[in-house]
Amino acid sequence: MIYLDHHAAAPTPEPVRQAMHEAAAAAWANPSSTHAAGRAARQLLETARKDVATSIGAEAADVVLTAGGTEACNLGLRGLARGRSRVVTSQVEHPAVAESVRRLGAEGREVISLRVAGGRPPSGDELAVHLGPNTLVAIQWVNHETGTVFPIHEYAEACREREALLFVDATQALGKVPVDVGALRADAVAIAAVKIGGPAGAGACWVRRGLTLEPVLEGGSQERGRRPGTPDTLSMVGFGAACRLTVRRLAQQAQIARLRDSLENELLQRGAVPNGVAPRTGTVSNLSFRSWKGPLLAAALDLEGICLSTGAACSSGLEEPSAVIGAMYPDEQWRAGSAGRISLGMETTEQDIEAASQAFQRVLAREGDQNLKQISSLGNKT
Amino acid sequence: MSYVKRGLVAMSGGVDSSVAAALLHEAGHDLIGVTLHLWDADGEQQVGRCCAPEDRDDARRTCEHLGIPHYVLDEREAFRQHVVDPFIAEYQAGRTPIPCVSCNRTVKLTYLAEVARRFDATHIATGHYARLERAANGHLRLLRGRDDDKDQSYFLFGLPQSTLHTLLFPLGDLVKSEVREAGRRLGVPNADKPESQELCFVPDGRIGDFINRQGSPTASGAIVDRDGTVLGRHQGVTNFTRGQRRGLGLGGGATRYVLRIVPDTADVIVGEESQLYGQRLFATDAHWVAGRPADAFHGEVRIRYRHRGALGNVTPKGDGFEVRFDEPQRAITPGQAAVVYRADEVIGGGFIA
Repeated sequence: MIYLDHHAAAPTPEPVRQAMHEAAAAAWANPSSTHAAGRAARQLLETARKDVATSIGAEAADVVLTAGGTEACNLGLRGLARGRSRVVTSQVEHPAVAESVRRLGAEGREVISLRVAGGRPPSGDELAVHLGPNTLVAIQWVNHETGTVFPIHEYAEACREREALLFVDATQALGKVPVDVGALRADAVAIAAVKIGGPAGAGACWVRRGLTLEPVLEGGSQERGRRPGTPDTLSMVGFGAACRLTVRRLAQQAQIARLRDSLENELLQRGAVPNGVAPRTGTVSNLSFRSWKGPLLAAALDLEGICLSTGAACSSGLEEPSAVIGAMYPDEQWRAGSAGRISLGMETTEQDIEAASQAFQRVLAREGDQNLKQISSLGNKT
Repeated sequence: MSYVKRGLVAMSGGVDSSVAAALLHEAGHDLIGVTLHLWDADGEQQVGRCCAPEDRDDARRTCEHLGIPHYVLDEREAFRQHVVDPFIAEYQAGRTPIPCVSCNRTVKLTYLAEVARRFDATHIATGHYARLERAANGHLRLLRGRDDDKDQSYFLFGLPQSTLHTLLFPLGDLVKSEVREAGRRLGVPNADKPESQELCFVPDGRIGDFINRQGSPTASGAIVDRDGTVLGRHQGVTNFTRGQRRGLGLGGGATRYVLRIVPDTADVIVGEESQLYGQRLFATDAHWVAGRPADAFHGEVRIRYRHRGALGNVTPKGDGFEVRFDEPQRAITPGQAAVVYRADEVIGGGFIA
């Protein structure tokens, strides 16, 4: 099996497995308990928090641990929304952000959703015209499907000048671009363990000191009243261990990009159409294949031992055309239904890419049947 | 690089397709489970609604049990375009369509044939109760399933030879009780699941309501007798089919039956049961499984799925055929399929004009 779906979940590195294995004997206790068992868990939890904080240049006290990236995004943006009558976002956000913004809109706030036409994110100036002291910006740093890197530092500057609050979804940024909340000057930043080789049940929301983050869950006063519920210490240990590897992950980016480019160039020569434009991370290639529906291509490659995705899987096992690619290319809707996302990580080898290339060759050779032109749903009429 | 030849198995989540998969798996086939998502049920709550998440889960569980891959592929657009929209249009034109024929021919099996090609699979298995047999000339003969009660050959007459050559019907030689028994023996998770007798996308059988929900209401009209006397009103021709007795709302008196629907005026013409009988039909858009017969012949014709079949002379004419039955038949209904058999073999079929 060759795993090329690192943007969905990164494999668990050995040091992370090891750390969780060692912590399991003590992590079960409730870290809020003051007795010895509780203190042991508390120590594991706080060490993990420190590791998470360090990986994004933050103080541990400003990091709220959550049960995954979606909760971190919900918390970061809903938690800052009080008193803000306008929310500015982009059209290509992950559902963890997009759905929360939609709900803020339904509750009566004005929502401005900026276009990312042709895969080009809005500039700082394009964002700035919508900002004021009544505004919350909720926007991603790196796009989950195309790897497009948004000019987040420009956004932060524009927000500061106009007294807008900035929530950054950095779930796909961590480990791919240097994340330093001290230099960024955003107001809240969400990250997720699953994207860097940690457990899917761990995430974090950093919040600028002095800001009030309203909890989105109701319950106890854990996490300084910002996130109720007994923390999942074992998952946080895994998260912390994964965060300790981000330096190594970042150092691998050039090598990952080189492998990505070699596979992508070959597929472009075979007629694939690239989605999203530079600047983007080196970890992902998003391509549309005219004669294929994305899910059919992903399944055919899966049968050849290659794991990739269309970028829009949901729990029902039914995949809709990619909303991200649809928003980037509104005049070429076929792209959204025919997109495949190949995403690499630090475990990806040259041999993996060679094998993937051969699998693509075998599968794409099956596309030429005239029969399919009679069935509109199979591919795209050209 | 070499690998074992693959087969694709169409998994609805029901017992039949699950057992079909399990039997082939037991026989050593290298299988891929595919569930087509064809329709999002709306307004229906009961189990058995089409393509429900629980059916996908059942298909997935069976595949997990067998240790084979399983994929759900979205064909809602094709299903609406090729099956549901024509179905509604037929009802509005006063006919009683049989969507399973066009679904098998135009969506399900044609699409699966292409999916099989994309997956480098050589054959497609389904849970249909029908059999295939190779004739001396290489053609495949389509035969009734062994289980008289479950036989589905009626729905398959439209398949071209090229499709038949890729198909496997593992249940063709079994009766339903044997299928359930095989399911239990092989540990199929849903072996005792109840089955639906209705159209997959209208599980409650209320077709008029379904068509209204689809935003295609039909004009109300008059219920009249053969002399043109208005006996009552009705809420739309889509609520009626030839031979229907219930739901006319005419109160007491003699029992009346729907004889005919006039789409232009939305009149539903009713009369005595004896007036429902006819001895002749013409079918259009015929498909002959192993080629068009040159001459007229005597065969058995089924005029609806639950019809036992009646003998008559079948004469191919143009792209259709005429049937003159030996005995009058009750409620020969426009839109339904007339399928011609010789003994167990499906010779061909068409749609009653």
